[in-house]
Amino acid sequence: MSAQTSIETTVMSILSHVLNESAADLRAQPVLAAHEWDSLTSLEVLAQLENQLYVSLDLRRYHAARSIDDLVSLVGDAVAAKSATAH
Amino acid sequence: MTEIGAVLDALRVAVDEGRAPGVDVRRDLAGIHDPTALRTAGRLLAGLATDGGELRRVRVAVLATCTIGSFEHLLRASLVAAGALPAIEPADYGSFEVSLASASFAADGDPDVVVCLMEESYFLPSDPNGYDETAMGGHVQARLDDLHALVKSSLRRTSATVVLHTIPLPGAVRDSFISVRARAAVSRIWHQLNAGILGLAEEHRQVVVVDLVSALADSACEARDDRLHRYADLPYTDGALLVLANEVRRVVQARLGLSRKVLAIDLDNTLWGGVIGEVGAHGVQLGGLYPGNCYLQLQRSVAHLRQQGVVLALVSKNDPELAEEALTQHPDVVLRPDAFSVRAVNWSPKVDNLRRAAESLSLSLPSFVFMDDSAFERGHVSTELPEVAVVDASGDPAHLVRSLLRHGWFDVMELTETDRQRPTLYRTRAMRSDFSANFGSSEEYLRALGTALQAQWATPFTVARVAQLAARTNQFNLTATVFDEATTAAMSTDPDHRVAVFSVSDRFGDEGIVGAAWIEAGPRTWRVLNLVLSCRVLGRGVELAMADWIVTQARVAGAVAIEGRYVRTRKNGVASAFWTEAGFTPSGADGVFTLAPGSAAVNTPDWISTKETESHVT
Repeated sequence: MSAQTSIETTVMSILSHVLNESAADLRAQPVLAAHEWDSLTSLEVLAQLENQLYVSLDLRRYHAARSIDDLVSLVGDAVAAKSATAH
Repeated sequence: MTEIGAVLDALRVAVDEGRAPGVDVRRDLAGIHDPTALRTAGRLLAGLATDGGELRRVRVAVLATCTIGSFEHLLRASLVAAGALPAIEPADYGSFEVSLASASFAADGDPDVVVCLMEESYFLPSDPNGYDETAMGGHVQARLDDLHALVKSSLRRTSATVVLHTIPLPGAVRDSFISVRARAAVSRIWHQLNAGILGLAEEHRQVVVVDLVSALADSACEARDDRLHRYADLPYTDGALLVLANEVRRVVQARLGLSRKVLAIDLDNTLWGGVIGEVGAHGVQLGGLYPGNCYLQLQRSVAHLRQQGVVLALVSKNDPELAEEALTQHPDVVLRPDAFSVRAVNWSPKVDNLRRAAESLSLSLPSFVFMDDSAFERGHVSTELPEVAVVDASGDPAHLVRSLLRHGWFDVMELTETDRQRPTLYRTRAMRSDFSANFGSSEEYLRALGTALQAQWATPFTVARVAQLAARTNQFNLTATVFDEATTAAMSTDPDHRVAVFSVSDRFGDEGIVGAAWIEAGPRTWRVLNLVLSCRVLGRGVELAMADWIVTQARVAGAVAIEGRYVRTRKNGVASAFWTEAGFTPSGADGVFTLAPGSAAVNTPDWISTKETESHVT
């Protein structure tokens, strides 16, 4: 499993858990606003992503994220940045 | 330690089945300190639909001057772990003052507890940078007066307990003053604010204030999250919110009467350092420099608990006379014998002693806290009596006081005169109980423990440890004859002698070499010159398995008789019945017991497996 696929799996799993929807339903409608993406759930997703992946997300991009793809992309960048720092 | 994942799974099952988590799951939940895991646990438990069962229902409203965030989940997890079933009602964002002024906390009536989560901006000017310290002092005092007015207004309309907390001053505010004098003045203003908040509890009986600032100073976590503060008005980290949730849990626990009343505590390596059976009353570590000062401090803390009404029970595997001698005569002992309402100093399983103590005190086991340094004893109590809270006294003794006190097991809302007299009352009640009796064994636990005895003849690698054991074991030491290292080494290679070495392991780990026997191996008769067993493993029947192995070896070697001896000393009373329990019969000579290995066998407990290691050196 590539690093990108692994990040996508983690993001989908957390979204699915917090928004209480199946991964298939989320993929069918990747726009976050179409789900229960409010201030409370978005903060819960943020906390879980940061705790599980040991990263600190760029909140400006997080705030601007409109779709699941946006989330996967910004989480991927955070993981890559952390990995680059570690090396 | 229980896996966090297993605890979360157990909570999930309980929620799915619509029943309260069992006492063992709640105990494991209380042992989790990771905020992320507790946040998940709290979210899970929000779905718990049950009548509560043995859990105590409590309705809690949470108001906040900021976003409540994960505090609701952390508080729920902490309360369920303590035996409560909370219905938590978080107030709408931005409704702090209106809710407090009107006491409209919940849709369906008055809650039991109202928790106010507060941060600094409530008390500071909107732009503190424009203020000098004097002007800031005036503003902060005015905001404290506002809070006081709101609380008074609330108290006229609610019977709930209102919980407030002290507030940390952020470095960003403090450091914005570059004059060191002005900065000190700002800190003074802030301490006065916190003193004012604490003072509300003295003025109003319904108000409780927890000292979050001091609790955070004792915690290793970062308190503030600048990113989430600006992004979502969440000024505190999950770690800090968990510290607050725990302080609130202690208040709710005390208010619901879920706190404990009895401290059952061990002696060796808990109330003093060392094993008294090995070092004697004068040799225990107590007082003076490290580590004796740690044990003295623990005794002082326990004495302070007793002054405040906590009933003390002494639960120790020891010779009662020896323990009594140290408790009475050691100059540094703080807890003299009459400090304990119950004394159970004997060789019985501690589980049985705790049950008996509860009976004689007429107090239930859920009101007990048990503190012991031995993983075996703690494991036994946790398994058989999960309702008893267990405190770990192992490791560096410098942590003993904090280990005992940090959970707040004994918290009460207020102390009454009856509380203070309780230890004396219970002592009188329990005096009739005789704890020197043998209560039998807990076979089920011992089976689950999987004790394995490993027997072998001494080798050059084990002689030194065997000699050390011979010198240090005073209690289970049959003849008190000390064979030193040179003698033991010589006997181990002499064809007419044998030195047997015994190790014990169980599911808690390997105890290493714990027993030895020195044997004169004649062609017809084997004489056991001495046999010792460390008191760490007493009470499990290990000594009988050792006897059985020796008898088997004698039979294989063609001996027709085995002789054992018991010579009474001041400390070896615990071993007096060993030979008869092993099936030997007293012979004519004083202290000599015999058995014919061809016709009789030793009754070895079925929970011990014996394994022989090839090591015969001849």
